[in-house]
Amino acid sequence: MSGFFWSALPYIAFAVLILGTAYRYWTGERGWSTKSSQFLAKDSLKVPIWLFHLGLLMAFGGHVIGILIPKALTDGVGISEHLYHIIALSGGIPAGVLFLGGFFLLMRRRFDNPRMKVNTSTSDGVIYFVMFLTLITGFGGTLLNAVGLLGDEFNYRECISPWFRSILAMNPDASLMADVPIIFKCHLILAMVTMIIFPFTRLIHCLSFPFEYFMRSNIIYRRK
Amino acid sequence: MKIKAQVCMVMNLDKCIGCHTCSITCKNVWTNRPGAEYMYFNNVETKPGIGYPKNWEDQNHWKGGWELDGGELVLKTGSKLGRLLKLFYHPEQPELDDYYEPWTYDYETLITSPRKKHQPVARPRSLISQQRMEIKWGPNWNDDLAGGDDVRQDVNLKKIGEDIALEFSDIFMKYLPRNCNHCLNPACVAACPSGAIYKREEDGVVLVSQDICRGWRHCIPACPYKKVYYNWKTNKAEKCTFCYPRLENGLPTVCTDTCVGRIRYMGILLYDMNGVLDAAKTSDPKMIYAQMLGLVKDPNDPEVIESARKEGVSEAVLNAAKVSPVYQLIKGWNLALPLHPEFRSLPMVWYIPPLSPIAKKFEDKVYLPQSEAMRIPVKYLAELFTAGNTDIILQTLQRLLDMRTVMRRKEIGEAPPQNLEFDVYEYEKMYKLLAIAKYSERIKLPAGLQGKTHDELRELQGSAGYICPGGFC
Repeated sequence: MSGFFWSALPYIAFAVLILGTAYRYWTGERGWSTKSSQFLAKDSLKVPIWLFHLGLLMAFGGHVIGILIPKALTDGVGISEHLYHIIALSGGIPAGVLFLGGFFLLMRRRFDNPRMKVNTSTSDGVIYFVMFLTLITGFGGTLLNAVGLLGDEFNYRECISPWFRSILAMNPDASLMADVPIIFKCHLILAMVTMIIFPFTRLIHCLSFPFEYFMRSNIIYRRK
Repeated sequence: MKIKAQVCMVMNLDKCIGCHTCSITCKNVWTNRPGAEYMYFNNVETKPGIGYPKNWEDQNHWKGGWELDGGELVLKTGSKLGRLLKLFYHPEQPELDDYYEPWTYDYETLITSPRKKHQPVARPRSLISQQRMEIKWGPNWNDDLAGGDDVRQDVNLKKIGEDIALEFSDIFMKYLPRNCNHCLNPACVAACPSGAIYKREEDGVVLVSQDICRGWRHCIPACPYKKVYYNWKTNKAEKCTFCYPRLENGLPTVCTDTCVGRIRYMGILLYDMNGVLDAAKTSDPKMIYAQMLGLVKDPNDPEVIESARKEGVSEAVLNAAKVSPVYQLIKGWNLALPLHPEFRSLPMVWYIPPLSPIAKKFEDKVYLPQSEAMRIPVKYLAELFTAGNTDIILQTLQRLLDMRTVMRRKEIGEAPPQNLEFDVYEYEKMYKLLAIAKYSERIKLPAGLQGKTHDELRELQGSAGYICPGGFC
């Protein structure tokens, strides 16, 4: 079973993420949208939307650094394990607080307002649920680890990070995941579930960030 | 010179009776869908009044349209970079309550109610939340000056420093039907981060691609006329399409076709695309109207025709431009004026300011009052149509008054008045077009823009529209 979770599922998740997104783009671009609800409830969006997106982007950046930069590299430039964790937590805890706080406020807004309720689709409900569990396991695991409740010998940069890089290198090493605490295992599986459902939810809007807007002229003329 | 064709509309406000037929036929055709219940691609407002959405003309609040920043033309909502910071939350985007909450009534209770002491009542129910609601505002709440305190908030009144007179003999109002202006310099197009909104080269119609739109919503605050709407169900922007499927077949828009007062004129204008930016950058807002007239070129000028041919304007369009009623009204007689030219988007729906009601303000013996003494203050009309330039309004009103005088004298067998601007023949032509023109004279649109056979069109039936063919909506 662990072979499936840590050797096969990651590739399934990546494949669905890429192929599913392409499928949706080609067949359902008419429904490709940010799904903004500012029109239905404006004031309650103002602050929470910033908290949420800022926290999300910070958390995403932290994951990229923590997973992709090998421990050997930071050791090499003389950053001690202790210092590294102080840096990681000083970014990670605010990110988690913003992310979770924004998420909580947005959920309260969404399910407390009769106008918003009718604008909430099944796929919205599913992604909020999965995102909530992912957030809780990730933030919870980090906090437990920080106070030492997950044991002294656990260091995600010696198991989870190399495992993820082994996935990227197309040479999965499931044995690295053997001693990882259950809360992080859940976090990883939920992350993979998120990747699998990503193409079929509103999350796709993050791929539409309008970089090209800076390049183009003001007025667009098109032939019929 | 780079000549392009623009399908253009003129509304003769003298004849608008405020019946809302245009709004209703438009709604039945275009916005009777879930998510679009609140939208009126075409609506009719009573002026003075705050309109739909509330106070849309107040750009200090909504930041719509363009402004000059050190001689450069920039969107009032901010720079490109600044606006990207508004992707999550746009402070200037109107919300549902700025328009109104659409509703229906529980008609079922009228026929299913058991025998009761009191007659059953159909109570209002929200079309958004489907819950019982209290009606607080509607799309034409200020109709015929209803709700005086709201009416007093009209930003044009504030600008001219006048209040609505309470004396019945002084009170004034007029109707203003509004749809998308299909501007030459559309702010919505410039604001769209996804590049989904575009202006068609063939006929100048401004459209939102429902596939490319990502719901960033920046077009909605950017449009100074608030004529781009957010569909809360499909989460995409929608706007008046100028009924382009009809235009392509030589038919006018639905609002034009069904207008009871026959106030609407449609035809082709040839304009110089190279001059658009300079016209929009005119430093004095009061001069923008004159610059817009400069963009409009004579369809009989051989040089213009040659340039248009070079740009691929078809012969059918060129021929329609030569007989265009809108050219005559806009450039021939300077009767039609743009709505709020100071927004700098160069709107292509033009308005002939109203003379009526012709009612003597004072107990004088003249048949018609002077153009300055009209019941609707000239300064008010100037705020609407010329960025405050009263000279243009007075000139237009005087021409309309002269036309009436000429026709009246003719009718009662008197000699025409002296000191007329035009020949009597010209006033008779004006009268024919403004007062008694038939459908075919008011509307001169070229057929054959479509370029598809009827069989091809039949195959397309049901494959296009606002709903989502692939699901995921």
